[in-house]
Amino acid sequence: MNFTLLKHEVLATVKLFSIILAVLMLYIISIVYMYNPEMSNTLNKLTETMPELMSAFGMSNIGNTLIEFLSTYLYGFLLLILPLVFIIMSANKLIMGYIDNGSMAYLIATPNTRFKIVFTQAFFLVASIFILLSITTLVAILFSKILFPNELDLSAFLTLNIGLFFLHFAISGYCFFISCSSKDLRTSYAYSTGIPILFYLIQALSNMGGALGKLQYFTIYSLFSPEKLMTQDSSSIWMLGALFLIGMFCYMLAIRVFVKRDLYL
Amino acid sequence: MAIIEVNNLTKKFGDFYSVQNVALQIEKGEVFGFLGPNGAGKSTTIRHLMGFLQPTEGQCFIKGLDCRRSTAEIQKFVGYLPGEIAFIDKMTGQQFIKFIAQMRELNDLTRANELMQFFELNATGLIKKMSKGMKQKLGLICTFMHNPEIVILDEPTSGLDPLIQTKFIDFILAEKEKGTTIFMSSHIIEEIEKTCDRVAILNAGKIVATETIADLKKQKSKKFLIEFQSEQELSRFLGEQLKIKQIGPTQAIIKVQGNVQTLLHTLADYKINDLDIISQSLEDIFMHYYESGGKES
Ligand SMILES: Nc1ncnc2c1ncn2[C@@H]1O[C@H](COP(=O)(O)OP(=O)(O)OP(=O)(O)O)[C@@H](O)[C@H]1O
Ligand SMILES: [Mg+2]
Repeated sequence: MNFTLLKHEVLATVKLFSIILAVLMLYIISIVYMYNPEMSNTLNKLTETMPELMSAFGMSNIGNTLIEFLSTYLYGFLLLILPLVFIIMSANKLIMGYIDNGSMAYLIATPNTRFKIVFTQAFFLVASIFILLSITTLVAILFSKILFPNELDLSAFLTLNIGLFFLHFAISGYCFFISCSSKDLRTSYAYSTGIPILFYLIQALSNMGGALGKLQYFTIYSLFSPEKLMTQDSSSIWMLGALFLIGMFCYMLAIRVFVKRDLYL
Repeated sequence: MAIIEVNNLTKKFGDFYSVQNVALQIEKGEVFGFLGPNGAGKSTTIRHLMGFLQPTEGQCFIKGLDCRRSTAEIQKFVGYLPGEIAFIDKMTGQQFIKFIAQMRELNDLTRANELMQFFELNATGLIKKMSKGMKQKLGLICTFMHNPEIVILDEPTSGLDPLIQTKFIDFILAEKEKGTTIFMSSHIIEEIEKTCDRVAILNAGKIVATETIADLKKQKSKKFLIEFQSEQELSRFLGEQLKIKQIGPTQAIIKVQGNVQTLLHTLADYKINDLDIISQSLEDIFMHYYESGGKES
């Protein structure tokens, strides 16, 4: 690990990080605020009038408890997409950004091994996602505690967020791999944006049920199931394991590819 | 043993050979020039020395260390100036210098400050807003600030104005005095002539010749563009025993290798309007080596 580089990345990313975090917090706070045990009925009616649309965004059964409410409104769309934006932008910048503009030459012309450079960047990406999700989790818990003491099932909520982190860990591994292995920044952006979005759309279609339900086997988002995580269903364990393995595999492959690849700097 | 060694280096892109069987031996303390036209493979060779590329065949060694395997170790005593320099745009020049120094665990910035003064660079501004020449100077400072033993420069003077180019030549000579080994690529023969001990000439991925500068100068021919006062004068002149090429009704180019005395004596008999010296281009040098059998490699 190179701490000079790490510090540089922290400073260079703090703006994007803060923007994403601010938007997430705004939504989390307003959604917690919107929760009203009696009001769920109205929302349930809304779902009944347009079930396909609501279920596409994972909002099929709005539960009666606070955690079900949160999981419906935050963990089907916002907490999947906004961290993804952060991941895509950071992953591309951390490696391919330097290769594409040529400044990678200066980084690896210092007495630091390529492994050290790429490991630092990978560590930074994982750590920043972890911190992002930890803060949002804490904010959600805190705000729930203030507004609705004793309403939130803490252990279920934590499991849910651990699942979310593993999901983003896996996706960020994929994006980081693309960033390490592409030939230029445009290709890197295309693949690291295209594939996750495609997965998300497949997930949205499969949520509509029926024949489309089979599609769930073709998207990584199926490995993140808020219902199973909240009930701490046994199958959620192997889902977490699968996400973790995908992530580790991608990061390890990314590091290997970067260490070996030709660089035209 | 040579301090920089390139053995039988070949790099293929698909079917295309970017460099082929390049071999170089550079001794400690030597200033070695690497001449070649655009696309000759100079940067490709240098990238192999920096460990950026995996050779298709062959190896490179710096101080006996394999460039591909001991890349980080080698960087401790090497300074590198990329051919296409790019920095982290959002930083100021000073921030970048400090950043690279920290990446090198270099705490002493006296040399960097000295160099900034020498090259007259004000590095307080954002790199994004710097001119090409300023960026080149910044690159040079980052290359030399840790007092490297060996320096690899890819077209160091591109973007510098003539005044700074001259300064750069003095700078290289001073570094040579200090015993630094310098390997630099260039398109410009004059620059190489003034600084280097030896030169390798590269064309289309192959080394055409490796010569000492003294030998290179001997090989070098001069060309004179002469404008005669009348067509009759020129046609009379065409009968002389010289390499003459007529290019206009009253103009001719004369190629002289070695001594110009004969030409000057001959010219004394003629009425001429003007005489120009055409500086020799890389192409002429190549033509020379081709004529003298550089092709067989
Ligand atoms: N990434 C690449 N893929 C394919 N071909 C390449 C690549 N990089 C370089 N080449 C080819 O290799 C050859 C040598 O390129 P190189 O950059 O080494 O030339 P050069 O001597 O440095 O030229 P210049 O004076 O323009 O800097 C060129 O023909 C170039 O097209
Ligand atoms: Mg070049």
